[in-house]
Amino acid sequence: MKALTIAATGMKAQETNVSVISNNIANMRTTGYKSQRANFQDLLYQTLRRQGSTTSDAGTQVPAGVQLGSGVRVVATPRNMTQGDPESTGNDKDLAIRGEGFFEITLPDGRTAYTRDGAFELDSTGTLVTADGYTVQPAITVPNNASDLTISNTGQVQAKIGNATTATVLGQIELSRFVNKNGLEPMGDNLFLETASSGTAQTGNPGDAGYGTLLQSYLESSNVESVNELSSLISAQRAYEMNSRIITAADEMSQTTASLGK
Amino acid sequence: MQNATLVALSGQVALRRKLDVIANNVANMDTAGFKRVSLDFEETTMPKASATLFQRRDRDNRFVRELSTVHDFSAGSVEMTGNDLDVAIEGENGFFVVNTPAGERYTRAGDFAIDNTGRLVTSDGKPVLGDGGEIVFGSEETNISFAHDGTVSSSAGLKGKLRIADFPDTSVLSKQGDNLYSASAAPQVPTYIRVRQGALEKSNVSGVQELTAMMDVQRAYERITNMVKQQNDLSSKAIERLGSVNA
Repeated sequence: MKALTIAATGMKAQETNVSVISNNIANMRTTGYKSQRANFQDLLYQTLRRQGSTTSDAGTQVPAGVQLGSGVRVVATPRNMTQGDPESTGNDKDLAIRGEGFFEITLPDGRTAYTRDGAFELDSTGTLVTADGYTVQPAITVPNNASDLTISNTGQVQAKIGNATTATVLGQIELSRFVNKNGLEPMGDNLFLETASSGTAQTGNPGDAGYGTLLQSYLESSNVESVNELSSLISAQRAYEMNSRIITAADEMSQTTASLGK
Repeated sequence: MQNATLVALSGQVALRRKLDVIANNVANMDTAGFKRVSLDFEETTMPKASATLFQRRDRDNRFVRELSTVHDFSAGSVEMTGNDLDVAIEGENGFFVVNTPAGERYTRAGDFAIDNTGRLVTSDGKPVLGDGGEIVFGSEETNISFAHDGTVSSSAGLKGKLRIADFPDTSVLSKQGDNLYSASAAPQVPTYIRVRQGALEKSNVSGVQELTAMMDVQRAYERITNMVKQQNDLSSKAIERLGSVNA
């Protein structure tokens, strides 16, 4: 009976749905995390009787045919790229992006990754790095004797060196953006990699047309809405249960048939 | 007498199909823009091959077979997602037009995305058509917005207008999978349309309705099976009685 396999596709799809939802909930407090959603599509249809086929010499036609579906599949898990709320941290090396763009990060293996997580630190050489110690591009080095680090909303990094009374410009933070942000490949650690479907990165300064601006001493919190996630979790669970009821029904019907021979 | 078994069999085959249709509805409960399907049956009469010579003519056998799958095109509930690229058509009329290698297809699923060339596409990458062809965004553009009449604009200004196809006679549509419909007749331009950005039309499958239908199918199936059983008992008793020879 087809119903068995159809309901099984439904249960599998809902399982994926629940894992996407649980990942969202687990990352509720992850800086710069963007919530994901499972998108579903129906599978192929088998046509037993085609509509529009002629039913008589007089030219009458079948108004509606017989089409049997074959279940459901998860087609994509796109991210909801809306802005997360900026949260004040008081740390002068924390940066939040308001609007479009990603920070560019160099991985230890030389590849370039992108992130919205602006929880930066200085390493032993004074270079601005991520929480994992990966360098932020273009590299900015803050000297030992610098104080009053200021990052403007257009990305200019300034600090007072030694006893100087005026601030020295240390560098410029750049942002990268993509035609299709959803095409970026998540690699964990809040990092994304460029792919063929994301398009190539375009780099610009914060505040340029199309790019967001920076906010110093703030972090972008995740955009997961707990209420939405919990209500989707409940409906996913119910859908899972209903699919399993279909399996039971199909099974019981087969049993009834099997009992005939007794 | 064997005919009773055959009629029952036709009923069972039809009920199994009906369960398949219900299973597909339930599996697609969370599919954006999915429209529930119901299966209608028809009665087919089969003249008997013989036995018309008796004074009281035997009645024709009546079998069951599936007549048509009927799509319920009523609007599904609209869920606010807050995602800029989710678009829902309000009301039950109108479809988005999607370009596929096989030609134009129609969909109610508004879970759109942008591909690497900046085109507005469906969630599996098929371009969504506007009045002037594909809708393409430049890489520097932000603030994509869909007005209520389907006009698409961004920070770079007007980008086109979503093409909405209307089918006054929805029976020309057939499901293709991938949330798409194909049509055997040309679509019309709707007189009034209202789309909503940041919202997604859910499927119009109601769990209660489907599970009740499922139980109906299950019980009907059991009743038919019982009937077949009784027929069998009847035959075996007849053979036993009539075949026993009293010595």
